[in-house]
Amino acid sequence: MKQDRVLIIDDDMELCRLLSERLQPEGFAIETIQDGQIGLKRAALGQHDLVILDLMLPGMSGLDVLRNLRSHSSAPVLILTARGDDVDRILGLEIGADDYLPKPFNPRELVARIRAILRRVSRDTGNSSIVIVDSVRLEPSALKVWVDETEVSVTSLEFSLLEAFMRNAGQVMTREDLTEQVLGRKLGPFDRVIDVHVSNLRKKLGRFSSEELIKAVRGTGYLFVARSGSR
Amino acid sequence: MNLPTRSLFLKILLWFWATILLTAFSIIVTLILQPGGVSSQWHDPLIDTAKYAGATIVQEYEHHGAQGASDYLLERARTTHLQACLLHLDGTSILGNGCERFGRIAHSATMKGKPEFNFEHGLATVAVTVQGARDDKYIYVTESPVGPRAAVATNMAAVAIRCLVALFVPGLICYLLTRYLTAPILRLREASQQLAAGNLSTRADKRMSLRRDELGLLVNDFNVMAERLEGLVNGQRQLIYDISHELRSPLTRLNVALDIGRGRKGNDQAFDQMQQDLERMNQMIERLLTLARLDAVAASVPFESLNLTDLVANIVHSAGFELHERSDRITMNSREVFFVRGNMELLQSAIENVIRNAIRYNNSEEPVQIVLERMESSVRITVRDHGLGVPSEYLQRIFEPFHRVADDRDRQTGGTGLGLAITERAIRMHGGEVHAVNAPPHGLAVHILLPLQT
Repeated sequence: MKQDRVLIIDDDMELCRLLSERLQPEGFAIETIQDGQIGLKRAALGQHDLVILDLMLPGMSGLDVLRNLRSHSSAPVLILTARGDDVDRILGLEIGADDYLPKPFNPRELVARIRAILRRVSRDTGNSSIVIVDSVRLEPSALKVWVDETEVSVTSLEFSLLEAFMRNAGQVMTREDLTEQVLGRKLGPFDRVIDVHVSNLRKKLGRFSSEELIKAVRGTGYLFVARSGSR
Repeated sequence: MNLPTRSLFLKILLWFWATILLTAFSIIVTLILQPGGVSSQWHDPLIDTAKYAGATIVQEYEHHGAQGASDYLLERARTTHLQACLLHLDGTSILGNGCERFGRIAHSATMKGKPEFNFEHGLATVAVTVQGARDDKYIYVTESPVGPRAAVATNMAAVAIRCLVALFVPGLICYLLTRYLTAPILRLREASQQLAAGNLSTRADKRMSLRRDELGLLVNDFNVMAERLEGLVNGQRQLIYDISHELRSPLTRLNVALDIGRGRKGNDQAFDQMQQDLERMNQMIERLLTLARLDAVAASVPFESLNLTDLVANIVHSAGFELHERSDRITMNSREVFFVRGNMELLQSAIENVIRNAIRYNNSEEPVQIVLERMESSVRITVRDHGLGVPSEYLQRIFEPFHRVADDRDRQTGGTGLGLAITERAIRMHGGEVHAVNAPPHGLAVHILLPLQT
């Protein structure tokens, strides 16, 4: 069985050693790097299935690493943020991280998040039928999104989110459903990760489409507006 | 300017003004009351005028008798307000009213055989001898328009204007002087109020410290004090922040190591206890960091327009989610949709802390009630539980960090003692206020007031 390759970028060497020890028995191939610049170079090679990035790196900050990485890679990224630092967390998600985990964390929670992300990624490539709703076209085999023949660059998570929306066009998707389908985990209390992702997706689509494709349904969730029905 | 009722400004202004006016008034009064001569430069014109007038009167008297001359004198007195008399050399009066008071001056004029002057009650009087047609000699005594009373007696409008000028010119000077003295005090007060309100970067106006007087020195000292205060407080905050920050790395490692240990040695109660305490420390550090950040970056947090009703509904929804099957134990009521300006993350955690607290202590069948209502230009969020409430002497102190009303109970229920402190700071940052009251028959009601978006 092919091992999932996980890259951990964190300046705490002892923690990296402990994490390798903890995660390897779970079936992951772990590579750890303590420096942001080097980590970015390694991650950009695209050899990893998942990048775990500490946002509080000395030198080149984690947010900069993430921003750079996102400019030429859509690999899934799990960020480690400071507890209580809501600003960094939201910024990280907005720049394109898939999910976050506040530090200090429970390692079981970390394993669960890693598995959830990897599950979604492997599912993405499995389903290959093209989805078209109105002006939006989705190509799961190539992970590409087109609006009126213009290609929109999205992260793999945004792609999954859009796919979930389009396959249920015209139906209200609750925040619970979306979190389970897209993030692969239960919606936690006061959990706003899915809302940040929806907001990112709306911004990206809004650049190419004059009408609002995803509408918020107060108190419940979101709705992908379908005018002509889906195919 | 917001002046206190017995303000220094008014006191100084009125005292200065009164002093100047009283001084001026007393100078005038002494001038009027002080008897004295008439300055010599006026003698010749006064004599000439008096002689001319006297000659006219005598001529009138000799040709047309006492009646005609008397009429002339009265007419003159009416138009000029100046009294005049014609007397014999022995001092007996011929013409004019109230001539007795001129007796003395007339007598001395006769004795000396030359014109005589007197200056009394702010008016000059002159007596001259007049040669009649038949070698008779008369004494003519008249008041002259010389001296302050002359001015009073002649033109009332001019007098009024002079009085007004005399009143307001010193008034204006006093006003400017007083302002110069008291305005820096008021501005210094404003700065110290700001400082007391927790705005530690406040300094008194730099321009004031350029003054080289006592006030300038005071302003300088104030600024030095504020600087030192800011340094001390910030240092302490930074220390708390750094400690919490540094504690995170070992805690993270401890979490991982504990889990590895569990994997090797299997489940053990000791591990569970460690796990629980680690969780508690995690949470405490999270709250401490939030608190430290709230104090430090208060000014730089971005504000946006927020639908508060939605925000509270989401929190209630999430909290109900946390309560699992007991989600009927929290109710929310809002008659309108309220919009406020604020930072969503901060407001969320502020309100969330209060609601979590209410849920934690609500050991009754009644649900936790959350009500949003309009209070003038603010919105009031009331979170009411039906627990035991808080002894009234602690009601304000529950918003202080690490304040615990009932130690043991709180620790058992997993409180960190920081949630309400975060709430208080976050709400204050939004220009609102928060306070707690005991609600009858039992339970605590926390009121959060936030200014509505205008």
